[in-house]
Amino acid sequence: MIRLALLALLLAAPVQGEAQGEVKAENGAAIFAARCASCHAAEAGAPPGPGPNLAGVIGRQVGGDPGFDYSPVLRGAAGQVWDAPMLERFLEDPEEMFPGLWMGDNGLRAAADRAAVVQFLRRGAGAR
Amino acid sequence: MRRRTLLALTGTALAASHAPPGQAAAPVPPGYRVTWYDARTPGSGRVGSRDVTAAGDGTMWFCGQRNGTLNRLDPKDGAIRVVNLGPGAAPHGVIRGPDGAAWVTEGGQNAIARVDPADHRVRLWPLPERFANANLNTGVFDPAGRYWFTGQNGIYGRFEPRTERMDVWEAPRGRGPYGITRTPQGTLWYVSLAGSHLAQIEDLATGRVRIVEPPTPNQGARRVWSDRQGRLWISEWNSGNVSMHDPRDGSWKVWRLPGERPRAYSVWVDPADKVWLTDFGANAILRFDPVTEQFLAFPSDRASANVRQMDGVDGQAWGGESGTDRIIRIDYGL
Repeated sequence: MIRLALLALLLAAPVQGEAQGEVKAENGAAIFAARCASCHAAEAGAPPGPGPNLAGVIGRQVGGDPGFDYSPVLRGAAGQVWDAPMLERFLEDPEEMFPGLWMGDNGLRAAADRAAVVQFLRRGAGAR
Repeated sequence: MRRRTLLALTGTALAASHAPPGQAAAPVPPGYRVTWYDARTPGSGRVGSRDVTAAGDGTMWFCGQRNGTLNRLDPKDGAIRVVNLGPGAAPHGVIRGPDGAAWVTEGGQNAIARVDPADHRVRLWPLPERFANANLNTGVFDPAGRYWFTGQNGIYGRFEPRTERMDVWEAPRGRGPYGITRTPQGTLWYVSLAGSHLAQIEDLATGRVRIVEPPTPNQGARRVWSDRQGRLWISEWNSGNVSMHDPRDGSWKVWRLPGERPRAYSVWVDPADKVWLTDFGANAILRFDPVTEQFLAFPSDRASANVRQMDGVDGQAWGGESGTDRIIRIDYGL
């Protein structure tokens, strides 16, 4: 009986994880809309706005959208690649990570918000 | 007092810093003088010094967006009085009201803030809950003494100080409302960064807006300022242009900023109708003469100065270097 219960828990865990990921991504979409979308698109193929299009940003080089004219500090960081932990650190205090960034002081204070936005961008990029 | 009115006695820290002002190290054109002031005070950390305005007594207000403060700089000796705007504060814009107070678009608390010029007492009026995260940007007073403001998340609003009534509207094309200005003729205009247009709040009673399309698509208008004739000067971030719209005949003129990769962030028109711009691409303040159509550059002596707004008084152009935590003053007509 105990073995069966453990087995059920193990089988259920990934499903719960995926569901939580979906919820987080949904939250992330809302937070992105409220806090980021004034300057950034997140749909592949959409033209850049005041800031670069963030579709596919995870896995992309810093300053890596050839269609966007980045801040010098980001152009100078080319070679670094955005991954989820780095993007979460960036969102906490963008100017701390890249002093002199043109983007300005637009971080997300809550860790949960940062994680949700990153999850949203991961899903948007098709990365799981 | 209405419920949404908060009296935030967050305090004025007389954390005076007396860092002497610094003069420009690089050559400056004849007739001009450049002076920098340190925006940091003991214990302030990074300030994020950005929007500035004259307090009316020779001192200058400036916003500390990173450390949630409004600051009052005395140019005579560089002393700064620091006003804490409250928990989570991240002020964007400041202007001086007809009552002599500093009025702040306080984005961090999603509120309009008033800082008394005498005792630095802070009062906050939060936006209605359904306009949470408005991303408050810039404000201006209309001829009747009502405060109008923009929010980048697609709103504009009006606050009546006398009655403390606030009205907020959704902008006609959603996200983007950024800089706002008033002409000497009393009309109000704002620009949309995400929406790349100019808009007139043509009915100050109902808040009705009329959109004016600029000639350059996707120009990314950040700020707008009026000259004495009521012509509207617009800094275009995406295109790197400065444009001018004359509401009297509906005409437009456009000039590209010099250099290969201009990024026009802010615009201020001085009392002599010369146009001051900041160009992030060149890391410089520019003065544009509409008569000769010539630009004059004042590059910063430090990288990534990032002056996001300018204001001033006759003979002095002021800006906040958000990237270096300094305030810059350019004396002209010397």
